Amino acid sequence: MDQITSSLAPRASAKPSVAGAGGDPAGSVTKRLTSELMTLMMSTSPGISAFPKSDANLFDWAGTIEGPAGTVYAGLKFKISINFPPNYPMAPPAIKFDSPCYHPNVDINSGGICLDILQDKWSAVYSVQTILLSLQSLLGEPNNASPLNPDAAAIWDSPEDFKTQLLKYYRPICDESSD
Amino acid sequence: MTNQALYSQISAKWNNSFNRLNRGEPGISGLLSFSQAWRTATAFLYPQDLNDPSSYKEYSIQDVRASFDTLSKSKMLPLLMENFLENMRQQQYLVERDIQKYMTEYEAAGSAEAIGRLLFRLVDWYKAWSPIPELGTTLLSAYTLAFQTYIYSSFPPSFSRGFKDLIASTFDLVNASCPPPWALPSEPQASTSAAPPRPDLPLWTACETLGLLDRYESLIASVCYEYIEAHVLNTCAKKWDDSMLVCLREWMAEKVVPWMVMPYARGARNAEEARSMLQGVGSRFDYHVCKTLCDLRTQEIFDIIIDYPDSQPALQDLKECLARVDQRSELVTTLRKANKKRLLHPGADTKDILTQYVSIIRCLRLIDPPGVLLYKVADPIRKYLRERPDTIRCIVASLVGDGESGDSLVDENEPIQPLQQKQADDFADANWEPEPIDAGPNFRTNRPTDVISTLVSIYDSKDLFVKELQVLLAQRLLAVTDGNYERERRNIEILKIRFGEAALQVCEVMLRDMTDSRRIDQHVQQQKPMPLHPTIVSRHFWPPLQTSSFNMPGQFKEIQDAYAKEFHIFKPDKKLHWLPHLGTISLEIELQDRTINAEVPPLEAAIIELFSSKDTWDVAELAAEMKVDKTAAIKALLTWMDLGVLKEEDVNHYKLLEVAEEAPAGTKTVSRPAVVIEEVSAVLTVQRQQAEQMKVYWNFIEGMLTNLGALSLQRIQGMLKFASGYDRTIEQLAEFMEAARREGLVTVKDGMWKLHR
Repeated sequence: MDQITSSLAPRASAKPSVAGAGGDPAGSVTKRLTSELMTLMMSTSPGISAFPKSDANLFDWAGTIEGPAGTVYAGLKFKISINFPPNYPMAPPAIKFDSPCYHPNVDINSGGICLDILQDKWSAVYSVQTILLSLQSLLGEPNNASPLNPDAAAIWDSPEDFKTQLLKYYRPICDESSD
Repeated sequence: MTNQALYSQISAKWNNSFNRLNRGEPGISGLLSFSQAWRTATAFLYPQDLNDPSSYKEYSIQDVRASFDTLSKSKMLPLLMENFLENMRQQQYLVERDIQKYMTEYEAAGSAEAIGRLLFRLVDWYKAWSPIPELGTTLLSAYTLAFQTYIYSSFPPSFSRGFKDLIASTFDLVNASCPPPWALPSEPQASTSAAPPRPDLPLWTACETLGLLDRYESLIASVCYEYIEAHVLNTCAKKWDDSMLVCLREWMAEKVVPWMVMPYARGARNAEEARSMLQGVGSRFDYHVCKTLCDLRTQEIFDIIIDYPDSQPALQDLKECLARVDQRSELVTTLRKANKKRLLHPGADTKDILTQYVSIIRCLRLIDPPGVLLYKVADPIRKYLRERPDTIRCIVASLVGDGESGDSLVDENEPIQPLQQKQADDFADANWEPEPIDAGPNFRTNRPTDVISTLVSIYDSKDLFVKELQVLLAQRLLAVTDGNYERERRNIEILKIRFGEAALQVCEVMLRDMTDSRRIDQHVQQQKPMPLHPTIVSRHFWPPLQTSSFNMPGQFKEIQDAYAKEFHIFKPDKKLHWLPHLGTISLEIELQDRTINAEVPPLEAAIIELFSSKDTWDVAELAAEMKVDKTAAIKALLTWMDLGVLKEEDVNHYKLLEVAEEAPAGTKTVSRPAVVIEEVSAVLTVQRQQAEQMKVYWNFIEGMLTNLGALSLQRIQGMLKFASGYDRTIEQLAEFMEAARREGLVTVKDGMWKLHR
C-alpha cells in the first residue's frame, strides 16, 4: 500500500494546487465529490457502497461494507458514516463505524478506526472508493501492532473465539431504522 | 272708482298702440298705411307652393321695401317674423309631401339619384321661401334654422342610408366628364351659363345650403373610410410581392384628396388654403389607410411568412404601418393563434415547423429588429419543438445540409459563425438603447443572432446536438461505400466553426477511423488478398452500435480469423472485435444446375452457408446454431425462398434446392433483382441511448437504497441530482421504479421503496 501511495503521490500533488488556484474551494470540492460518487456508482466493486445522506449536503455520506469472503466477517454488513472536511481532498474524511464492529483496529464503542491512510498517510489521490476498499480489506487483515481494541487483537489468532465475540457485538442492519 | 282707473289705463294703452301704428300721422291715415304695408309684407313673405305656379304673384320691390320700412317704424318686425314662421309651419306639409314623394321613389328604386333630386328640390323650396336679405340676418338665420329643423324632422329613417349612398356615389361623380342630369339643379339658373367647374359642385353646394354637411359629418367620414377599406381590400389582399403602401398613398392623392376638397375645403380660395384645411382630415384618412392595410396584413401574416422571401415588400409595408398604427399586440395575438391552429399540431412535420419557425424569425426581424415581437411569438413554438422527439435530428440534419431533403434551413449565403452564447449586459455600451416598451419581463435584447444559434438555443445545452450529430454522422459514414468522405469532412469543418473544436473532436476521430480503415485494409490486402473489407471503428468514440451475438459460420469465420490475424500482425497492440451482423456480403452460390449471385445481409449469408453442410434444416435448429431468434432466422430463410434457393418442405422445415424446381404455373416467378439489402440502422438512436442511460441511474438508486434504507420517490428523485445529466421527471422515475419492481429488484411499501433482498 505504501508503494502505491508513493508512486501516485507526485501526480496527486499537482492536482490540489490546481484546484486551490481555482479560488472556489467549496465548488471544486463539490465537483470532486460528485465525480467520486459517479465513479463509485459506476464501479462494480462488490460489497462496498456509499451515498450522500441527503441531497442538501454532499459532505455527509453513509456507507455500507460487507465482510470479505473467506474471513470471519464474511456475510456480515457494517454501516459507516463518512464526513468530508471542507478542504477535502487536502485532508482525509472522518470515517467511523455506525454499526458495532468487533475488530482490532476499530473502537467498539465510538466506532473510530485506526487506519494509516485515514490519518498521516492520507493523500489526495485516494477516493471514497479506495477508502472503502481499504476498509474492506482491513476487516480481513487487521494491523495487530497498533490495536484500538486490544482484546480483539489478542484473540485474532483464534478465529473460533474471535467469531463468537464478533457475533456477540454484531447487530444486523435494518432498513427502517435508518430513514 | 275702479272702473275709472281701469278705463283710463286701457285708454292710455290704446292711445299708445294707436300712436305707434299711426306714427303721428293725421287721423287714421297712418293706421291705414300700416295695414296696407302689413298686408303687402305678409303676402310677400308667405311661403308659396312651388307646385302651384298660379299662386305666384309679382311684387314691386319698391312697394315691398316701403312696406317693410313702415313696419320697421312701427316696431312690428318681430311680429312679422313670428307671423312668417307660423305661416311656414302651416305650409310645411307642402315640403313634406315632396320629401315623401322622393323617398318613396328612392325606396322603390334603391338609387341614390332620387336623394340627389330630393336635395335639389329642397334647395328650391329653401330658396323660394327665403326672405330677401334686406330684412336682416336675424330673420334669415331664424328662417334657415326653422327650415332645417322642419326638413330634418320630416326625413324618414331611410334618409341617412340614402344620403350615404349618395355620398358614396360622389366618388365616381368627381371624375365624371359631365354631371349626370340628376346631379344638376332642376332649374338651371340662367346666370350660371358656364358649366360648373366640377361635376359634383352643385350637389355639395346643395348639401351645404341645407346644412347637411355639419349634421352628417361623421356619416360622410364613414363613407370615405369604407371607400378606403374597400379599395385596400380589393387591391392589396394576397398581393405581397409589391409594396402596396406607396401605391395606396398615390391612390389617395389621385382619388381621395380631390374628393375631399368638396366636403372639407370648399371655401378655400387657393391651393395653399385648401392644403391647410385638408391637413387634419387628410392625416386621419391616411391613418385609416395604414390601419386597414395593417389589419389586412395581420390577418394574412401566416401566409405572408410562408411566402417569405417573396413577400418581403408586404413585410416592409407592415413595418411602416405598425410604426404609425400601434397594433403590435394584435399582430402577436393573431400570429400566435395562427401558429397554434396551423403549425403546432401533430399533423405538421417537424421539418415544416422548423422551416416556418426560421421564416418567422427572418420575417419578424424585418418587421421589428429588436426582436420583441419575435420573442413573444416564438415562445410557444420553441416550447412545442422542445417536446417533439425528432426536433434535434431535424436541426442537425439541416445543419449538415441533408442532401435529399432539398432546401436547407440555413441560407447558403449566410456566413458561418460560432454559436453565440448569451452575453452579459455591456454596461459600457455607448449605443445602448432601452428595451422596447412592450417587451416582457423575460425579454432580453439579443443582438441579431444567426438562425442556427437561435435553433440550437431551443435546448439548454448544445451537448444534445453534438450527440445527435454523432449518431447522424455514424449512420452516414457507415452508409458510404465508395470511400468518398469529402462531404462529411466538409460538414464537420463547418460545424467546428459553429460548435467549437472540442465538441467535434469525437466526430474527427470517427472520420479518421473511416480513412484509417481503408488504409489498414489496403495494407492487409497487400499482405494477403482477401474478400473481406472491414470498417474498423474505435468503439469509445462511436455512438453505441447495434450488437448481436451470432457468429459467422464456416468459410466466413475462416475469412474473419485470417483477417484478424493479418490485422494483429499490422497492429500488435490492437484486437478486432467483429460486428458480424453489419455490412453486406456478395455471394455466388453454385448449385448443381445453376449459379446464383446475390448481395445479402450477413445473417442471410450465414444461413445459406449452413445449408452447404446439410441440405435440410429445422428453423429451431438453425436459430440455435446461429444463436439468433426464430423470427430473424425465418426472415433470412424467406429471402432465400424468394430467390428460389430454398423450399419449405414441411412446416418450419427447409430444404436446399440443388436443382431448380419448375415454378408451378400461376405462382410468382423470381423476377425481382437479387438485392435484398435493407436499411438496417447500424447506430442506436438517441432514444435508445437514453434507455441505456437509465441503467446508470439504476446504479445510483441501488447505491442510495443500500446505504440510506427505504426512500420515498421524491427523495430518490432529489438524490438523483447527484447523477450528472439526470433530467427525468418524477413521472418517468415512477415508471422506471415500477419496472424495476416488476423485475423483482425493489419492493415498495407505503410509498417507500427499498431493495429487494
